[in-house]
Amino acid sequence: MTNLEKLKDLVIDVFLLDPAEFRLDLKQNEVETWDSLGLVSLAVGIHSAFGYHPTPAEAISIHGVQDVICLLSSKGIDFEN
Amino acid sequence: MYVLTEAEVSADLSLLDAAWRQAESFILLPDKFGALREWIVRALKELPLNLESEHFALLTSGTTGQPRVIVGARERAQNLAVVLHRLQESEPVRETILVLPLSYTYAFVNQWVWATIQGRRLRPTRGFGAPEDVKVALESAREAMLCLVGAQVPLLAQYFGDRSFPGIIRVHFAGGRFPQERLDVVRALFPHAKIFNNYGCAEAMPRLTLRCAEDSQDPCDIGTPLPGIAMQTNADGELLFRSPYGAVGIIDERGYQPILPDTWVDTGDLAKKTSGGTWRLAGRSSEVFKRYGEKISLPTLLATVLDAWKNSAVFYRERDQAGEEGHVLLLAPPPSGVQLRSILKEFRDNHARVFWPLRIESVDTLPLLPNGKIDTLAASSLNPKTIHWYQRI
Repeated sequence: MTNLEKLKDLVIDVFLLDPAEFRLDLKQNEVETWDSLGLVSLAVGIHSAFGYHPTPAEAISIHGVQDVICLLSSKGIDFEN
Repeated sequence: MYVLTEAEVSADLSLLDAAWRQAESFILLPDKFGALREWIVRALKELPLNLESEHFALLTSGTTGQPRVIVGARERAQNLAVVLHRLQESEPVRETILVLPLSYTYAFVNQWVWATIQGRRLRPTRGFGAPEDVKVALESAREAMLCLVGAQVPLLAQYFGDRSFPGIIRVHFAGGRFPQERLDVVRALFPHAKIFNNYGCAEAMPRLTLRCAEDSQDPCDIGTPLPGIAMQTNADGELLFRSPYGAVGIIDERGYQPILPDTWVDTGDLAKKTSGGTWRLAGRSSEVFKRYGEKISLPTLLATVLDAWKNSAVFYRERDQAGEEGHVLLLAPPPSGVQLRSILKEFRDNHARVFWPLRIESVDTLPLLPNGKIDTLAASSLNPKTIHWYQRI
């Protein structure tokens, strides 16, 4: 499973999305279930799936899927393959 | 007060008939009470002298798991059976099929006492532990009444889902949530039956309210009180009652507690009176709690689950990693991927995240109490359980 597939599964699972709703440019304001507890849940999920625990400042700067990819890419986690 | 056991009575119902006729009070105990024997002996010694005749007692543990002896007056139970006969339109009923333990107040009063004073036949079975036995009784039923708890509907569907039993003309549910979402199954199984939602508790010995299934689409609507019964809520929304048919006392860990005519007895449920005059349950006091400031009602959430899930389900409570009260959904049997997504979609569509369960788990079958209700205490400690989904908090 690629990192992108892992991220897709995580976002779907945390926000209870239909798989068809997932997009790389999906934003927080498009997802009703992306609330404060959801953000905590996403951060915990990022840690368990990718081994990196976002700091509180990093977590609150996540406003969409692309932000997660940028954050993890900056920590050396590859989303190209 | 002398002791009768379920096993003795199941083997020879005339023992119970004789006990009812003679003056000395008796207690009817369920089959499995070994660890409680000493407690029961001590408890019965606390009974006032005036209860040593013309009374009867039953043992209950309820959802708290704490044993209690409930003491009833025979005359009151007979009066209640007369009232139920009229309100449940039981005159055409010729027999009643027993699939619950007789030591359960619901079966004891609504079936055994009723059958005794109305001169109708009581047909014992070994219950759903022996489904063939139940099937034979249902197939040969003639103008029969059946008393069930909602948790038995999945068993009925599992064992007899491809059959119908036209000889059953009355089906009663009590002892837990009314299976409103599964009435199609009940109606298919019992096409000639009038279905009732009965509400009460052991202290009410046992009935407080009644409604026909057709009178509401709301499973929490328990209808109106029986004649002579008064109901009200206290400042915390807890449902209280006074009943001329209710228990005269209970024995619990505090000793003997009389229930006097002016005593308002706590049902353990939260409720509200509707504008239509019926009562609507909001859940057990223990099933309603605050999570991140939001009021969580497990019965309401169970209704959400049952919109997408037609098998057994129960919530048990657990704290999350932040120490906040939460709840875990336990299903049986294990859901398919599609079924799991349907359940999760119901949560997403109907409730904010704080209402979602901490986990969704499954086992092959849910543990049941002898009275057929789901054993919530045992459900929480079952192992192994399969985790299908969890919140990462």
